[in-house]
Amino acid sequence: MSNPKTRLFLVLFAFNTYSIVSSDEVQLNISSLADKLGQSSSSVAASSAVSPVFKAAVDPVFSINMLSSFPEDLEITDYCSNLLHIFGERYVTYVNCLVPAARPVKVCQSCYSSYGRLRETYLNISSDQMGPSNESCRDILLRSDRLMLVPELYSNLKGLWDKSNCDNCITEGYESLTNDTLYFMNTLNHTLSCFEKYSPGNHTELCKSCKTAYSQLNELYSGMERNKTMCIDIEDAMNMTRRLWSKKFNCSFPRKETVPVIAVSSFMLFLPIIFYLSSFLHSEQKKRKLIHPKRVKSYSNINIQDKQS
Amino acid sequence: MANITKKVSWSSRADESGAPGEGTPLLNGAEPRLSRQLSGGGNIFHIGRLSTVDLEEEMTSEEDSLRGRPKEIPHNEKLLSLKYESLDYDNIENQLFLEEERRMSHMGFRCLEISRWVVCGLIGFLTGLIACFIDIAVEELAGFKYQVVKQNIENFTEVGGLSISLILWAVLNSAIVMIGSIIVAFFEPIAAGSGIPQIKCYLNGVKVPRVVRLKTLVVKVFGVICSVVGGLAVGKEGPMIHSGAVVAAGVSQGRSTSLKRDFKIFEYFRRDTEKRDFVSAGAAAGVSAAFGAPVGGVLFSLEEGASFWNQMLTWRIFFASMISTFTLNFFLSIYHNNPGDLSNPGLINFGRFETDSVAYNLYEIPLFIAMGAIGGLLGALFNVLNYWLTIFRIRYVHRPCLQVMEAMLVAAVTAAVSFTMIYFSNDCQPLGPEHTEEYPLQLFCADGEYNSMATAFFNTPERSVRSLFHNQPGTYNPLTLGLFTLTYFFLACWTYGLAVSAGVFIPSLLIGAAWGRLCGILLASITSTGSASSCIWADPGKYALIGAAAQLGGIVRMTLSLTVIMVEATGNVTYGLPIMLVLMTAKIVGDYFVEGLYDIHIKLQSVPFLHWEAPATSHWLTAREVMSSPVTCLNRIEKVGAIVDILSNTSTNHNGFPVVVEVTLGDEAPKLCGLILRSQLIVLLKHKVFVELARTRLTQRKLQLKDFRDAYPRFPPIQSIHVSQDERECMMDLTEFMNATPYTVPQETSLPRVFKLFRALGLRHLVVVDDSNRVVGLVTRKDLARYHLGKHGLEELQLAQT
Repeated sequence: MSNPKTRLFLVLFAFNTYSIVSSDEVQLNISSLADKLGQSSSSVAASSAVSPVFKAAVDPVFSINMLSSFPEDLEITDYCSNLLHIFGERYVTYVNCLVPAARPVKVCQSCYSSYGRLRETYLNISSDQMGPSNESCRDILLRSDRLMLVPELYSNLKGLWDKSNCDNCITEGYESLTNDTLYFMNTLNHTLSCFEKYSPGNHTELCKSCKTAYSQLNELYSGMERNKTMCIDIEDAMNMTRRLWSKKFNCSFPRKETVPVIAVSSFMLFLPIIFYLSSFLHSEQKKRKLIHPKRVKSYSNINIQDKQS
Repeated sequence: MANITKKVSWSSRADESGAPGEGTPLLNGAEPRLSRQLSGGGNIFHIGRLSTVDLEEEMTSEEDSLRGRPKEIPHNEKLLSLKYESLDYDNIENQLFLEEERRMSHMGFRCLEISRWVVCGLIGFLTGLIACFIDIAVEELAGFKYQVVKQNIENFTEVGGLSISLILWAVLNSAIVMIGSIIVAFFEPIAAGSGIPQIKCYLNGVKVPRVVRLKTLVVKVFGVICSVVGGLAVGKEGPMIHSGAVVAAGVSQGRSTSLKRDFKIFEYFRRDTEKRDFVSAGAAAGVSAAFGAPVGGVLFSLEEGASFWNQMLTWRIFFASMISTFTLNFFLSIYHNNPGDLSNPGLINFGRFETDSVAYNLYEIPLFIAMGAIGGLLGALFNVLNYWLTIFRIRYVHRPCLQVMEAMLVAAVTAAVSFTMIYFSNDCQPLGPEHTEEYPLQLFCADGEYNSMATAFFNTPERSVRSLFHNQPGTYNPLTLGLFTLTYFFLACWTYGLAVSAGVFIPSLLIGAAWGRLCGILLASITSTGSASSCIWADPGKYALIGAAAQLGGIVRMTLSLTVIMVEATGNVTYGLPIMLVLMTAKIVGDYFVEGLYDIHIKLQSVPFLHWEAPATSHWLTAREVMSSPVTCLNRIEKVGAIVDILSNTSTNHNGFPVVVEVTLGDEAPKLCGLILRSQLIVLLKHKVFVELARTRLTQRKLQLKDFRDAYPRFPPIQSIHVSQDERECMMDLTEFMNATPYTVPQETSLPRVFKLFRALGLRHLVVVDDSNRVVGLVTRKDLARYHLGKHGLEELQLAQT
């Protein structure tokens, strides 16, 4: 631990190497992280994103610059930079896990542990808890600049996590999937294997044979929907299964009662016609008695009606 | 001056008219300028006469025999009913009134002003509560009904037997509608329909029997709940306006005649003048509760009703509107479990339009105007169809049990048609993430999808409107919308005018929103190639709003208030301009064909409704031709027997009697000295205010204005007042009670002048006198309302007993 700055750039280097394999967005974030750490020249940051090797090579130069620019007490301590490092590593791990789980969605079941670890680190950073030399990294890492990169990065992923409702499928402490979820997965597998078994043959047979499994799954799903114990994994798996069932195997209910429905509704449409006809024919027409108002006799001749003839 | 010459020429013409044949050429030669005028007028009449020609010819030929035997004709729109009386808006300034005013202190007037505000606050509060009650009841009951039917449909989709679901749905609908229809048809027929025409008449100064009674309110509220829950194509907004008006009329009187409770408060307000002001406040409060549009409510009262406005009254009405909106708001917030949230007003809440979807551009304005024209056309079609239907209903479906049956049939057919549409719809949409669809029906759609036609039909109309405004682009496919518009148009048209209490606002909005959205989708698909502009075109919700405004404007033809209501209900001032343009276009196009729906219904009810202006081309008519004559007059000191006889004469059910004083010299006709109303005479008879009795019993309490107010508004009929033979010989002195300064006009006053006076002052009787103040005739509302401008010039309506 000779020089904290060197370490920091090693972290950066690690980020960049990872970023090659992860998505564009992450890469962008990391390059801006490089910005944040004091490299005023954006061109360097950009180049670092493109070529990490070059970046590593120029590292010492920059560390000298840094050392010369800030006095000792404003510097980031070992402890904090260590935390930052861990955060970075776990961040990358989580992102690496997420991307392959995007389709079909398995973000909860495959990445819950890495999210748990990431969260733990972040909580460490953001807690008031003092480090070994009586220091708190919260202020220095989280809110010492306008960009607030670390919270921003974290809130992105947390947003994803919340949006996918993964908390519903994972036990407290991010240890395992909940029993409900496991049970659902079991049922799902059962159904899917049934599909697989019959899919080469006639679809009608599939519809008949897998119906119990499928409807069991459906029921389970709607129960979970009501209890709000669903996460995106379950929703997506169910959606896919339903699509298989309805679209691919065409097992939806056929429209088979056309005749009775038409018969009943045309009967009902027929009723008003009878009603109006019968009331026209049988009901006595309402008559109004005309009243003749009193008018001036002598002038009534030039009144409207009587004048013209 | 011109008036006099005209009159002279007319009278000369009258002389000539004794001889048949062409008399006008002579006149032509005498005075060319005038004669042109005359022959023009004559021409109009000649054409105008065609419409009533067969009736009149008979009458002139055997006039005398016809007087005894009244002629009967089928009901049509060209009648004036005898059952409608005028309100006494004009203050009766008799001696009692002056006395009371003298006695009243300055403080008394202050208190009166304060109590007016209190009454307005109460009106707003109670109207809001009623709106809240209706809303919650409809939501709960409709939710229950749709749950049951949905459950049933889901069960039967699998095992078969959907026709049973159809029958279940139809039977449920009919049963609920039957309840609503029975209470309307058998207990209070005036509560049928939206109530807006009736309130419009009331504010115009027509006393519609039983329109502002407590019983009407109760029937209205429960009737509207039944009809909305029963799945008819109706809304609950129109009845809110009527309810508000009834609340106002009840609260302001401080008592309920139906419940026989008198709280001994607000006694000063027990007369037509005050009551009518409060009723306009109540109507405003109703609008404001229905749409969450306080300003719109005030403007509605202004546009549709009151002709007597001042700044303080407006301000009070606005107060009532505001209170009503926020009462509703407050209680709904409690119902929705976030008490204290006051930001979600209105029975129908159009929801907020987000900022990016409200954007519109200059080049869209012509499109909006075109949509306005379509709205006007469709509205006119709606009105014409409804007009014929209503005539048929009045003529043939007038027995209450038939009316109930008809309503039930409509409910059943509505369910059947909806079900068939849903059944055969192939439009499946994926379920939204947050389940904006209240009762999604899957039917034959793939799992996880729902039938898009069902969101439009299988829902309360308000929710359908909201989903049409706000659902994502692509939620409905064009075929669904087209079919929906078509069916709903005819259903709504068929439904309005049934014996159920229900409004036409929401169905119109729904029809308009459906075809508006259709327009939006078509536009988007036409211009989808242009990438830059397509994002603006693509939002169909905007077009749905414009379409809704156009359709509603085309049907009811309201302008100012409707614009403000729409703007307030969407909470978006940005749309002010397009909505205004659309409503203007819709009104212009629609008025070219037929009147607004409410005006049609007012006409069909044979109400003597006075429009803003006298019909054009009626200046040549003078008070002499308009007035009724001869007039039944009373002497200032009249024999009781004579009064009783006049009042009990059923053939001449007069309400106002000019009071005359005999001139001592010669045989000159008596001169006018005042006017007295039937209601006053009845109170006088009831209290036996006879000259002889006053002489014998000196201690007798003097009759006060309070005695008249206590009898208001249901004065007992003359038959219930017993007058003994001895009392018949007594005399009654009317000096103290009559209105000593009634408005009078000379015989030569032109019709528009009489009309203006009558309308602006809210008169009930206008005495026509000659140059020496002798009574010649009496002009009443029915005398004025019978002239109207038809297709062929000036026409005259018949008086009829209904």
